[in-house]
Amino acid sequence: MANYLEFKGIGKSYPGVQALRDVSFRVDEGKIVALLGENGAGKSTLLKILSGDTAPDEGVIIINGQEQSFASPYQAIVEGISVIYQERQLVPSMNVIENIHSGDLPANGLGFLKREETRKNAKEIIDKFGLPIDPYELVGRLSVAYQQMVEIMKAYRRNSRIIAFDEPTAPLTDAEIAILFRLIRQLKDEGKLILYVSHRLAEIFRITDEIVVLKDGRMVKTMQTVQTNEAELIQAMVGRDIGDTYSRLSRNDKFGDVLLEVNNLTTDVVSDVSFRLHKGEIIGFAGLVGAGRTEVVRAIFGADPVRSGEIRLDGERVSFKTPRGAIERGVALCPEDRKEQGLVLFRNITDNICLPVLGKLKKRLFLDKKKSEDLAEDAVKRYSIRTPTLDKLVVELSGGNQQKIILGRWTSKLIDTRILILDEPTKGIDVGTKAEVYQMVCDFAKAGIGVIFISSELTEVINIADTIIVMHNGHITGVVKREEATEENVLALAMLD
Amino acid sequence: MEKPDGLQRTGSLRRFLNSKAFMLLILIAAEVVFYSIISGGDYLTMFNLRNILSSMVVTAYLTTGAVFLMISGNIDLSTAQVSTIAGVVMAKMLLAGLPWPLAVLLTLAGCGVVGLLNSVLINELKFMPFVATMAVSYVVQGVMLLMTHGASVDVDDAFIVWLGAYKLFGQIPVNVVFTFAVFAVYGVVLAKTQFGKNLYMIGGNSKAALLGGLNPKRMWYILFINNALLGGVAGMLQAARLRAGTTNGIANGMFSGMTGAILGGVSFGGGSGGMGGAFIGLVMINAFNSGLTVVGVNPYWQTVASGALLLVALTFDYFNTKRLTARK
Repeated sequence: MANYLEFKGIGKSYPGVQALRDVSFRVDEGKIVALLGENGAGKSTLLKILSGDTAPDEGVIIINGQEQSFASPYQAIVEGISVIYQERQLVPSMNVIENIHSGDLPANGLGFLKREETRKNAKEIIDKFGLPIDPYELVGRLSVAYQQMVEIMKAYRRNSRIIAFDEPTAPLTDAEIAILFRLIRQLKDEGKLILYVSHRLAEIFRITDEIVVLKDGRMVKTMQTVQTNEAELIQAMVGRDIGDTYSRLSRNDKFGDVLLEVNNLTTDVVSDVSFRLHKGEIIGFAGLVGAGRTEVVRAIFGADPVRSGEIRLDGERVSFKTPRGAIERGVALCPEDRKEQGLVLFRNITDNICLPVLGKLKKRLFLDKKKSEDLAEDAVKRYSIRTPTLDKLVVELSGGNQQKIILGRWTSKLIDTRILILDEPTKGIDVGTKAEVYQMVCDFAKAGIGVIFISSELTEVINIADTIIVMHNGHITGVVKREEATEENVLALAMLD
Repeated sequence: MEKPDGLQRTGSLRRFLNSKAFMLLILIAAEVVFYSIISGGDYLTMFNLRNILSSMVVTAYLTTGAVFLMISGNIDLSTAQVSTIAGVVMAKMLLAGLPWPLAVLLTLAGCGVVGLLNSVLINELKFMPFVATMAVSYVVQGVMLLMTHGASVDVDDAFIVWLGAYKLFGQIPVNVVFTFAVFAVYGVVLAKTQFGKNLYMIGGNSKAALLGGLNPKRMWYILFINNALLGGVAGMLQAARLRAGTTNGIANGMFSGMTGAILGGVSFGGGSGGMGGAFIGLVMINAFNSGLTVVGVNPYWQTVASGALLLVALTFDYFNTKRLTARK
């Protein structure tokens, strides 16, 4: 009999939120099932229930006709369930063999490791998937993509019947995604049950057979991938037709003077980068992960040292030793990794919004609490950040709302931001909020702000930016105007050697 | 404090009632009632209250330094040794005939150098604070032993002795008043000023703080030096009270300092806690220990009890963090 996994009437609530409500669907052998939904739709909660991380309030999980309930993640693993999370569950200081076997390295009666057996075992699995990985390499030295492959091999070695992927392609380049998909198809052909969680519609069409759409914790639709299209999926996810997001944007078409001029900027990572940013202009930076885009803006912002070259602001030569200096001249950076570099997660909304302007919120010696809260409240309203109170810790907010807090921080009335640098501003946020962010970016430009917009999503950069600068390996490989930009020509420049 | 069309803002009373400090206050009240009954009234006497207050003096400085450093996401294990050497050095200088203001200033300068050393190791060489300050601690202790050969150094400078012994209105030790004033100033700085807020932001996420325009490195320089200076003051006051710079003066001081901080809600991760809580935490430990003495429990139990209290505080912290993170 063919294997299957069934969710039946799953419900789960947290204080104040009904995270899941009556979710029922089936994953059959030989089919890859996509779980699609905006942030906060309940995908993560469902994965947590599947992996034994949390227990459902209602409903059951059935595997091959048998009801299952897991008291712990360990039990779920024993029952053959592996979840490949975005965050790697690997030990970076140990090698590939050890990681593949982690949890139960084979040992003899005295507790000594059976080295030869583990090595052979690991080698077999690596060869089976046809990966160019040295079994003795430390996992911490592998690229993000290969670390993920190790994670998949670990699941395979455990003989998992069910493998769930949580946004697996987020950190990967296109070439790496191709390898990942090959692996996933191989697993499917071996009869594994596969649940695939993603935001990215394009890849859902590439890899999956069935799609389950969640919205606000409920199942909206299940459909066959071949019978649907992007528009229908988006409508199901957001509950409304957002149509062609890009053509609806109200853009700025009046550029002013040159705000920022970068000449032959060279740092440890990038070399000879030159460009000009005008008032009201949006410059997009495209390129593969690691092309040096982030490093360029960090150097401009004073976060990384500049080796040579010059940066001019309003024609005047500047060199910022710390971000403070840049901020005082009206440069603002929304960093790539919101949680790591953008937010102080365990502080509240007010503190996070007021961070760069604390010096202006003083009443004599002391901070003015009311003024701070007014400033934060203003940002919350302008960006319609969803929260019941300003005292909510930002760790409790969704990705989209977190991003809005960072935008609110740099656009409050106490700060005069003239150059806004957005590094991957839509990463990990849902389709609906993305559209909002695009319009905000255009609004900034209309207000005369010069925007630098870095994104790894090609469609996004070529549709938002007025000018697209393409980088590869620390160099600028091309500059393209929006009217001339296509995914093909930008990608070609991004891969150029 | 709800505004009709605004977002809900939590008032300070509500915040206080939710805080760990409030829990500790209830515990202290329970402690007082419990000891008063058991001791048959010997606990709540002026004499014993004064003892409790006096016993807090040295720890108060160490706690203050620890609170500031820990909130900013750092730690200093050398403070107790800095305190000890400060007491000895000051005593030696007084013995050599230096006037007290000069002896005090030179001692503080020395402490500042140790703080600077700590911060250079951590800021510039990127050593783990735990390891770096432990190493410094050994060096300081060794130097202190070389200077004294293990013998304490008497203090008989008139002013210093007065500082250690004089009681206002014949009741309240002047050094207690001084200490409480210092504690209060630090409390206000932490809770109300931009400097204080910066500490929380840096401790919560130093990378985000840097990109938000703060300067974590500079803050850590200030904090390590500040911590060493506070340690120095503690050591000198201790010497004043004992009328001698002793070589084992403040052996456990650093840990009691951190215990106070942790009881008060300061977490090792940084970014949370405050001086109010730490003060209550300090009162809690000292009132507890003093009770054990009054009731006549073997003093060694006090050490066990301090450890147990710390474990309770950490457990409390664990559940609190869990509650905050589980909601996602």
